[in-house]
Amino acid sequence: MVRLVLYCLEKPTTIEHGRFQVVQIQKESRMSRNANAWKEKPALPPTHFVDTRIYTDVEIFREEQQKIFNKCWIIACHESELPNSYDYRTFNHPGGENIVVVRGEDKQIRAFYNICPHRGNVLLYDPVGNAKRITCIFHSWSFDTKGNCIEISRGNEGYQNRLCKEDVGLREVKSDVGFGGFVWVNIDDNSCSLKEYVGEALGMLEPHMDQELEVFHYHKAIVDTNYKLWHDTNSEFYHDYMHYFNRITGMIQPGYFDRKYIGYPNGHASVGSMEIKYDAYEGSKERGVGWPGLAPGGWILIDVFPGMTYNLRTSVLRMDTAIPLGPNKVVIEFRGLGLKSDTPQQRAERIRDHNTIWGPFGRNLHEDLLGVHGQGIAMREKATDSKWVLHGREENNTIHDEVGMRHFYAEWSKRMQRKAYDPMGDNQIAAAA
Amino acid sequence: MDSRHIIEELIYRSCLVLDDKNFKGYLDLCDSGFRYSIATHSPEIRKDMIWLDHDKKGMEALFTNLPRHNSDHSPLTRHATVYTVEVDDAQKQARVISTIQVFKTSLDGGTTQLFAVGKYIDTVNLEGASPKLLTRIVKLDTRMLGIGYHIPF
Repeated sequence: MVRLVLYCLEKPTTIEHGRFQVVQIQKESRMSRNANAWKEKPALPPTHFVDTRIYTDVEIFREEQQKIFNKCWIIACHESELPNSYDYRTFNHPGGENIVVVRGEDKQIRAFYNICPHRGNVLLYDPVGNAKRITCIFHSWSFDTKGNCIEISRGNEGYQNRLCKEDVGLREVKSDVGFGGFVWVNIDDNSCSLKEYVGEALGMLEPHMDQELEVFHYHKAIVDTNYKLWHDTNSEFYHDYMHYFNRITGMIQPGYFDRKYIGYPNGHASVGSMEIKYDAYEGSKERGVGWPGLAPGGWILIDVFPGMTYNLRTSVLRMDTAIPLGPNKVVIEFRGLGLKSDTPQQRAERIRDHNTIWGPFGRNLHEDLLGVHGQGIAMREKATDSKWVLHGREENNTIHDEVGMRHFYAEWSKRMQRKAYDPMGDNQIAAAA
Repeated sequence: MDSRHIIEELIYRSCLVLDDKNFKGYLDLCDSGFRYSIATHSPEIRKDMIWLDHDKKGMEALFTNLPRHNSDHSPLTRHATVYTVEVDDAQKQARVISTIQVFKTSLDGGTTQLFAVGKYIDTVNLEGASPKLLTRIVKLDTRMLGIGYHIPF
């Protein structure tokens, strides 16, 4: 006899049919689940949820460094951080490499591994500086801003003709400056161009970035969570429920639910604008200083795969760069930018606007970080309590639709050759159509 | 009490009332023209930064709005040491520099960790019956604040 158990809300019954016995058990009205039910596949298409091991597994993280971060264009800094010839800026690349970005005598910006080819020492220790010659403190090997080795201390005595300066230049990393004056790097020598990588994704912002920009705010936050969870937060607006500020100034205002997500090739996504009513928040007021070409109170957000977000909100451009340090640790770099042509008064207003919501003491940033911090607590490596994360909302691609995250994970799955809903191939889920 | 002692007590009281989340008590220690800011320097972008800047009304609104937000509820303990007090008798003001250490204690288990270090750079109004904070600049050395915090130092 084969016994089939069905749960229903009706009266319990037992029906015998041949060698089958169908037992219909009345389902309790309570909605909590036992251990098995908790792990059951969500009743959504497999593109609409992910297995949390993509957020916690070390092997997956190492693979992401190679297959994603070392293949994609990543923002290292902004050109305004290197205003003069010989200025440099270090960058801990999410692929794991130590990078230094240098502005040469010819004003061109180049990027190199921040490593001495001699004994593997870091060349430049400080995050910024000005160095006509980049000299390793260890044995005084020197390099110019084009990466050429210009001095091997007592080279002839030690190496005779066996090794010369031409053999030991720095490892140059592909770099480009663009899309608001950001300095982008790509570890992959054979990558496509930055322009091809970004494609049309930043089209909505480009008309607003034709003036020179300048960074006025920079801070980092280290959070025990996966970098994708931060990018997820930047890829959905459903979490506006978490933000009192956004509920009052945005969600209850006209036009909020008209904002639409647009997905672009390579995993990028954008969200259209609306008018934020800043004076709806007690102690706040309408923004006095705007942004060229942007409607008053306007807000455009563009996520660039795999962990960067352009966030232009009324008077300030915020740039987030998520740099994973491990599967459950990320450092997020936060930059606030204004116009280089700002008067002191305009700049002060932008700074105030920025800090009210996005500074380390701002109303929204703390809430966003609290959210992903909580996910990090729940998704512990090897012992995560949460089996699935849902990305299942469909609302015609509008603001609370979770299509932004689904678009990201489609690209992630393609690059990783792993399904986000079944990364280890052991979930026994039929492939998505 | 001598003026230095009175001024020191004002600085220490400002820590105690904020530790207790007694925001009215904090505002009572402030002059009507009070200005508060949190400042720091970023070597990475070679710029001074202002992270928070409010007048007394702005501070009041910030405190009023706190319960409407989702926040880390771990309590903070502010430990100040007054270093210098320079009284300007003509202006009836004092410029006070104190070092400040801020500790965060977790609600679950009570582990205490150093959260931030910096200085209070205060101007104190000595005109009334009791001294009042006229300006406070919290000059932070610590810039890594993790998930941040909603209540000023």
